Amino acid sequence: MDDVLSSEVVIIGGGVIGAAAAYFLCKEGAEVMIVEAEDLTAGASGACDGFLSLQTKQIGSHLDLTLESMALLPGIIEDLDIDPEYNPCGGLMLATNQDQLKELKARAKKVKAAGLEIEILGTQELKEMLPEVSKEIKGAAYCPSDAQINPIAFTLGMAQKAQGMGAKIIKGCKVENIVVTNNRVREVHTTAGSIHSRRVICAAGTGSNEIGKMIIVDIPVMPQKGQILVTEARERMLDRIVSGAEYLGTKANLDELLPKDEDAIRLGLGFTAEQTVSGNILIGSTREFAGFDKETTPEAMNAIAKNAINYLPWIKNLDVIRSFAGLRPYSPDGLPIMGPVKGVKGFYMATGHSGDGICLAAITGKLMSELVLDGETSIDISPFSLYRFK
Amino acid sequence: MQGKTGSESWQEVWDKSVNGPRALIDCWQEIPCDPCQEACAQGSIVLSSGICAPPALHAETCNGCGKCVAICPGMAIFLVDRSIGSGLARVTVPYEMRDEIRLGGEAWAVDGEGNYLAEGRITRVSGAGRPGRTMLLTIEVPEEWALKVRGVRGRRKLLEEPEEVEAIEAVEDFAFCRCEEIDYSRLREIITQGEFRSLPALRRFSRAGLGYCQGRFCQSILRSQFLADCPEEDREVESFRVRAPVRPVKLSRLGGEDG
Ligand SMILES: Cc1cc2nc3c(=O)[nH]c(=O)nc-3n(C[C@H](O)[C@H](O)[C@H](O)COP(=O)(O)OP(=O)(O)OC[C@H]3O[C@@H](n4cnc5c(N)ncnc54)[C@H](O)[C@@H]3O)c2cc1C
Ligand code: SF4
Ligand code: SF4
Repeated sequence: MDDVLSSEVVIIGGGVIGAAAAYFLCKEGAEVMIVEAEDLTAGASGACDGFLSLQTKQIGSHLDLTLESMALLPGIIEDLDIDPEYNPCGGLMLATNQDQLKELKARAKKVKAAGLEIEILGTQELKEMLPEVSKEIKGAAYCPSDAQINPIAFTLGMAQKAQGMGAKIIKGCKVENIVVTNNRVREVHTTAGSIHSRRVICAAGTGSNEIGKMIIVDIPVMPQKGQILVTEARERMLDRIVSGAEYLGTKANLDELLPKDEDAIRLGLGFTAEQTVSGNILIGSTREFAGFDKETTPEAMNAIAKNAINYLPWIKNLDVIRSFAGLRPYSPDGLPIMGPVKGVKGFYMATGHSGDGICLAAITGKLMSELVLDGETSIDISPFSLYRFK
Repeated sequence: MQGKTGSESWQEVWDKSVNGPRALIDCWQEIPCDPCQEACAQGSIVLSSGICAPPALHAETCNGCGKCVAICPGMAIFLVDRSIGSGLARVTVPYEMRDEIRLGGEAWAVDGEGNYLAEGRITRVSGAGRPGRTMLLTIEVPEEWALKVRGVRGRRKLLEEPEEVEAIEAVEDFAFCRCEEIDYSRLREIITQGEFRSLPALRRFSRAGLGYCQGRFCQSILRSQFLADCPEEDREVESFRVRAPVRPVKLSRLGGEDG
């Protein structure tokens, strides 16, 4: 690549966040280039679940942001040429004991006050909704607005649409340096040459910390590994996305809902299950800090399988055909890191989405487009500023 | 790839195979799996330390019957036979496609990733008449390849020569990934659209090789087609990451309960 490339906006990272940003920017007529080190969905967006779960969000700005994101989804999906297998199926969160149920009730109250519909189900009602749930389950929180999506198809769909509107996608192209002069981004150096650009969005997922170093800013994103089991494809068996209360405990760091077992705590074990359109059931998951290692481990697979049987006993008869692990772009408080950086004009962060990037992609893309093109956003993004960590 | 049965046992298999076929075990996943041990009437396969342990072969007592080859769901056992001499060896592999391989015909021996190793003659086909059962194919190749052979492919050169591919495509399409029901023509369409540059991405996007068999039957086609159609300067030839379980396993077993 000898020609000097240039673009009005360069997006680093071809995951769900980069694709969403490209999609919204192109809608506004911006000239966009996505630079991806490997392939689209090579990162977390290609190795995750497809939960669009409102009830697992932290109450406050996190939940509000998710509500905004979910509201945008139907419009985007309508617009895509690839079917992202969006399914507004509702979500169940199961309690294995009375304490958990009590906690879910208390939480439901607060969540309702924040504008989210949620219902607490007793064992009888739960049985009607999920007939083959374990007898040990004491009840559940049901959120009708929870949904599921195929994250790979969703990402590809948005990327393809952006491409149709003129976006360039450069694969196998790793960003190695960012040139800043007079406090402004000027150029992006990549393994495929230099790109002139005055606006750069960092949507590099777990690669964001490295990107930050290039402009001497500490972006506190680290990889948090999640392992998942995949079962054989079967007829429709699970109509809703299902999780355990401990999953919420682990995810949102709620002491009252953390697992009791030491190994489970160490692995960050929390039960999730969803059936994809192709019929496979994805069973999750763990939250581990193991650097950039993406291997699955016998220990975690064993723990995930055992745990799942506690919630859905029939699941034990299914064949597991595969396992995989993905790396969440984890931020210290689990909230995304979005917005500009002090002293480096033209550099914007859209990262740190932790375990919620699929859910938050739509709104993140829209906010990035507003921020980059208008310099301001339609909703307050100060809760997601990098500087909250000081 | 190194057999977890260890190079020592491979050496033994190699030595003993001058007397006739011996099982070559290339199983290295520590997963709960043991049908090979149960299948062997000679008691030649032993999982010394429990169901997750690597199987070990006693080449001394193995009579090369091939039961273990047919039963291993991971397609991880092969037979090597050097008794024919003259620098040739016969390798027996499990085979699930029921097409174009004919006794006496020429075929390609490929390695675990579908790379071409050598051309050879098919000297034995067994189990072909039993649908749903794994067939065993024996191919005769130069001795130096014997330990590397992991599969056999028809010599229909469609995978390397585009002109012929067009012709064949016109007359017949086939579900090359049978689990996910992906047609060969669809695969080529996805590849030539070129929205990716690596094999794992091709697999993610096409879903080929993501079905029940985990690509055991189709990944060699996937790979060769990728090499044939994806422009060299763009592509990244990275192998699939092999992840446990290498073969489907009941969730209850994974969870350490009784199945
Ligand atoms: C097991 C698991 C389950 C999950 N389940 C859910 C769920 O149910 N719902 C949900 O909403 N979220 C879920 N998530 C979280 C979600 O997957 C992530 O938050 C989301 O995918 C992050 O998207 P991203 O685009 O920021 O990052 P990524 O998808 O990781 O994309 C970043 C991209 O940037 C590229 N890159 C990095 N550095 C460079 C560089 N220097 N130059 C060029 N390119 C670079 C990478 O190659 C990568 O493709 C889950 C995650 C995991 C691991
Ligand atoms: S080939 Fe037959 S005798 Fe040899 S290990 Fe296999 S089953 Fe046993
Ligand atoms: S995968 Fe094959 S060789 Fe390995 S333990 Fe199972 S049956 Fe035996």
